[in-house]
Amino acid sequence: MMGRTPWSCRRTRGRLTQSFYRLLGSRRQGAFDRHLQACPACRAEWEATRTALQRIDSATAFPFESQVDWRRFTRETVAKARQAESAREQKALPGPGWRGRRPLLAWGGSLAALLVALAMMLPRSFRPEAPQTARPIAVSAESTRSLQHNVARQGAARYLRDSRSLLVSLIEAPVRCRRADGAYDLSLERERSRQLLRKKNLYLGSLDGPGDQRLVDLVEQLEALLLQVSSFDDCTTARQIHDLRDAIESRQILMRIDLVTRTVEGGGSRV
Amino acid sequence: MAADDFGLMEAVRADREGAFEQFVERYQKRLYRLAWGYLRQHEDALDAVQEAMVKVYLARHRYRPDSHPYTWVSRILANHCLDMLRRRRARPEGSLEGWQEGNPGHEVIDERNRDGPHREHARREFRRRVEEAVSGLPETQREVFTLRHFEEMSLEEIASARGCALGTVKSSLHRAAASVRKSLRQVEGLIEEPGQ
Repeated sequence: MMGRTPWSCRRTRGRLTQSFYRLLGSRRQGAFDRHLQACPACRAEWEATRTALQRIDSATAFPFESQVDWRRFTRETVAKARQAESAREQKALPGPGWRGRRPLLAWGGSLAALLVALAMMLPRSFRPEAPQTARPIAVSAESTRSLQHNVARQGAARYLRDSRSLLVSLIEAPVRCRRADGAYDLSLERERSRQLLRKKNLYLGSLDGPGDQRLVDLVEQLEALLLQVSSFDDCTTARQIHDLRDAIESRQILMRIDLVTRTVEGGGSRV
Repeated sequence: MAADDFGLMEAVRADREGAFEQFVERYQKRLYRLAWGYLRQHEDALDAVQEAMVKVYLARHRYRPDSHPYTWVSRILANHCLDMLRRRRARPEGSLEGWQEGNPGHEVIDERNRDGPHREHARREFRRRVEEAVSGLPETQREVFTLRHFEEMSLEEIASARGCALGTVKSSLHRAAASVRKSLRQVEGLIEEPGQ
């Protein structure tokens, strides 16, 4: 009968891994076992295969995992997370002085609103003369504009600083791509560049002072670099990173960012 | 009955008693394996998982159920690992290469060293060969082999996880194992019986 035909060594050795995973049906498994009983060479080969495949387990891939006390790890992780949250809440809570003053301030605010409303309702004759009211309004508009301008400058400085860290991490410590040899994984940097580019327009509109030109120029030069980063593939070649580094160095971008941000954050009115 | 992943995440967001513990318990090993894949250092991998879990806890109210909780957590962890790798590159003395070459500073954490340096060397060499052999496999075979041996999943579970026929899993596993076995022939002497 065909099912009873003894297996050859070649056929048996071709089924070693199938036998290991119990993928042979009972009839084939029987023929396999019978051959092993009769053939010391194949039996030795089977033993070697079985031992090798048995050794490849999670302990091979993660050799220290079994040493971890996972229950303790869970407890510690949960405790750490709760601690972090209470630390954050403590930080976010205003001091007791503020809390004490809060009702007073709220009451003051309501009173001010009431006075403004009353002033609006008064007949024209009870209102101050027009020239007297015009001046405070003009001052307020100017201070609002100045405030906006300062906020924009601070925002632009932050933008420059963030872009600087992005470029530094990209050219100094790129991470190897897991998918392609010799390439670098810039997916995070690419995403970050896109975020920064989206923020850029928030600052530029208000930077129209005579002393803002250098700041604006630098933000715009950075835009070109960030656009370049945001167009990279997930796995970028070393050549592209090299070119980017050249572009940054030739324009002395990092040094200029340092100078400009120091001036802005140091309170300098001119950049 | 254990809550499904989305239900559990919902419970974490609602600060239900014991939900976060269960969440950590459910994912910590998988996340450790992910972190190990990036960092290849035991202590760093554990730290990374812990830090990522803290971040998850602090950001739990910002989670949106349009992605699976594990996907969300693993993305947080992956970013954290990448940051750690960058910092490590800035401090080359703690580099992966140093560890792989047997950096003595890292050997102290390996309990297996108590067996003696030769045995530890043999294990390391065996691991390296297995990694090489597995990484050289075609994608499907690699995935099936990894899930069977490293994740210790049954063939039916693998078929279900990959959405393919059981027959495909069987043939891929057989082919993968034959290739790996062939690659390991050169280190025959390094292979010892499990449990030895």
